[in-house]
Amino acid sequence: MNTHCRQLGRRPILKSLAVAAATGLPLARPAIAAPRTLRIGLIMPMTGSLALFTEHVPFVLDQVRRTYGGMLPINGANHPFQILAKDSQSNPNRASEVALDLILKDKVDIMCAFATPETVNPVSDQCEANGVPCLTNDAPLEPYFFGRHGDPKKGFDWTYNFFFSAGQVVGTFISVWDRLSVTKHLGVLWANDTDGNAFAQVMPPIFQKAGFTVVDPGRFDLPASNFNAQIAAFKSANADAALAVLPSPDFTTFWNEAARQAYRPRVVTPGKVGEFPPGVYPYGDRAINFAVEVWWSRFHPYSSTMTGQSCAELADEYEKASNRQASMALGFRHSLLEVCFDVLKRTQDLDKPESIRDALRTTDCKSIVGPINFSKGPFPNTAETLVVAGQWRKGKKWPLELVIVDNKDVPEVPLGGHPEPMTYGS
Amino acid sequence: MAAAIADQAIQGVLLGGLYCMFALGLSLTVGVLRFVNIAHGDLIVLLSFLTLAVCTGLGIHPLLSLVLVVPLSCALFYALQRLLLQRVTGQNPLLVLLITFGIAIIIQNGLLQGFGADTRKLPGGALETATWQVAPGLYVGILPLLTLLTAIVMVWLLDLLLYRSRLGARIRAASDDVAAANLIGLPTPRIFAAAMAVVGATAAVAACFMGLQMNFDPASGPSRLLIAFEAVVLGGLGSLWGTLAGGIVLGVAQSIGGEFDAAWQAIAGHAAFLLIFLLRPQGFFPKY
Repeated sequence: MNTHCRQLGRRPILKSLAVAAATGLPLARPAIAAPRTLRIGLIMPMTGSLALFTEHVPFVLDQVRRTYGGMLPINGANHPFQILAKDSQSNPNRASEVALDLILKDKVDIMCAFATPETVNPVSDQCEANGVPCLTNDAPLEPYFFGRHGDPKKGFDWTYNFFFSAGQVVGTFISVWDRLSVTKHLGVLWANDTDGNAFAQVMPPIFQKAGFTVVDPGRFDLPASNFNAQIAAFKSANADAALAVLPSPDFTTFWNEAARQAYRPRVVTPGKVGEFPPGVYPYGDRAINFAVEVWWSRFHPYSSTMTGQSCAELADEYEKASNRQASMALGFRHSLLEVCFDVLKRTQDLDKPESIRDALRTTDCKSIVGPINFSKGPFPNTAETLVVAGQWRKGKKWPLELVIVDNKDVPEVPLGGHPEPMTYGS
Repeated sequence: MAAAIADQAIQGVLLGGLYCMFALGLSLTVGVLRFVNIAHGDLIVLLSFLTLAVCTGLGIHPLLSLVLVVPLSCALFYALQRLLLQRVTGQNPLLVLLITFGIAIIIQNGLLQGFGADTRKLPGGALETATWQVAPGLYVGILPLLTLLTAIVMVWLLDLLLYRSRLGARIRAASDDVAAANLIGLPTPRIFAAAMAVVGATAAVAACFMGLQMNFDPASGPSRLLIAFEAVVLGGLGSLWGTLAGGIVLGVAQSIGGEFDAAWQAIAGHAAFLLIFLLRPQGFFPKY
């Protein structure tokens, strides 16, 4: 097995933040009155069950430091800036608390947050209530917008989020399943958590419209001790496609038990596991042809407005610096700060939150994860980023590498292969 | 439907083997040493991490690493009893409870510091997915089967040790009446420590099988403790075979509950526990 030690813990993150903050001090004062230091709040789960989401943050902050040296050129003047990072501890209440802290005590000019609705929604709600511009990503649009009780007619005043939407992901999955001509029976494992409950509401109607019968044995609490009952239900319904949205320990329990019960679906999608290299490595060859939605990859034909790098260059630099395989999350970590700086650079009057908000609202940025434009989203205040489908195959540089197998919605992303069914060692 | 429920019942019995393993050490602690070890689940998780370190460090199979981990675990539990818990045995039972509670917190945070929050699993190789087709449509996993058989052998060995061996006689003597045991010259502190070392051996085996069948992280100890505790109480305090029965009842209740609705899986185990507890508060085979 590939045991995977977390190399980037809380301390290295804090250290690199200290460096970033130090370089943000106004060392060289221009002759004219020095502009005040801009403050950017950044809230993320550095500790707790979502800690894997922050793997790329120290690297991206280092990129920011090297690119700007702590000075942001806005309207011809160099503005010093500071990034104030806070830990949500993977806890929505804590996220809300630190957001309020950053707003009231540190008086941040703009707030950024990422990593699941559990982090993004409470932070956005605080910013909306206190009139602080807020930019977030890595939270699917439906749980973001409807989870915050958004009204599609009104939207929000201060808060903006870019990521994929559940509806779009379902479309991509269906395309892959149809190409593999599975029986139209789909087994789903949705747990009793925010994502599970949201998906159980949003997804089944779309699947049914595409002719699929959804075999849903019901919500279950995590951690689950076994999946015998669900597997028996899938087997008796002849569910050829399995879609699980489970944290990795629970997916392991499911996947081992499926092997022992000889449940062999042609397509398996392990949501929350298959997106991350450390998530699939432990399964070795049994992860080959796991199918997942791909929100970003080294093959995407976009480039960064911050560093000018292409996706491949960004991935290569990360792999060289960390000796770990780059993953989808890297693009979104980079894009969050990239779009944030894009907003600040376009701001007319940095002393007015409304002015920053207006710049945020009119964002039209060709970012590393594709075009971000908040006026085109499926819901107000959101921008839908693009999703293709990928499968894990044996790699050359890494044990397993993600290959793009379907680009129905985004033809500009090159295909690396075609969909293949699971092999089960045969 | 009947076939499906029978299938689930068989899977539940196999799962019960694992639950019995969690509970055996606790059963001994409660029945013989007469205290409740709140840190039992966390000690098992600690041993899982130790097993992980040994088998990745030396590149050997987790089951083989037991050769090393079991003696280490015995020494750890011996020292724990001799140097720490012995100081408060016989006094206010709350003190032991508080101390083991403290140990649980120290272990959880120590593991978090040392290994991070990632969830881990022991590399079982081909054993993880090996299966045996008993009848058409009825599969029994080799690993769960091995777990159940090991649990039965462990109960049998512990029973022999307690009721057929010299050490067992001493342990029971010290357990029944410390003052009288002291009076006839038995070194009770050492006997209790030896009993705790036996608990350590069961915990190490449980840790290995848990790591092979489920994943673990630094925070997964308390949920193991809950299952172990229910199995011990269901079986009757002090009865080792009762603990096996208790574990199996929990496993079967969970599996059959899950057959009706996945949401009922966890609750069915707890409901079965409460129901049996109401009808038979002393458990199946109470010793005391």
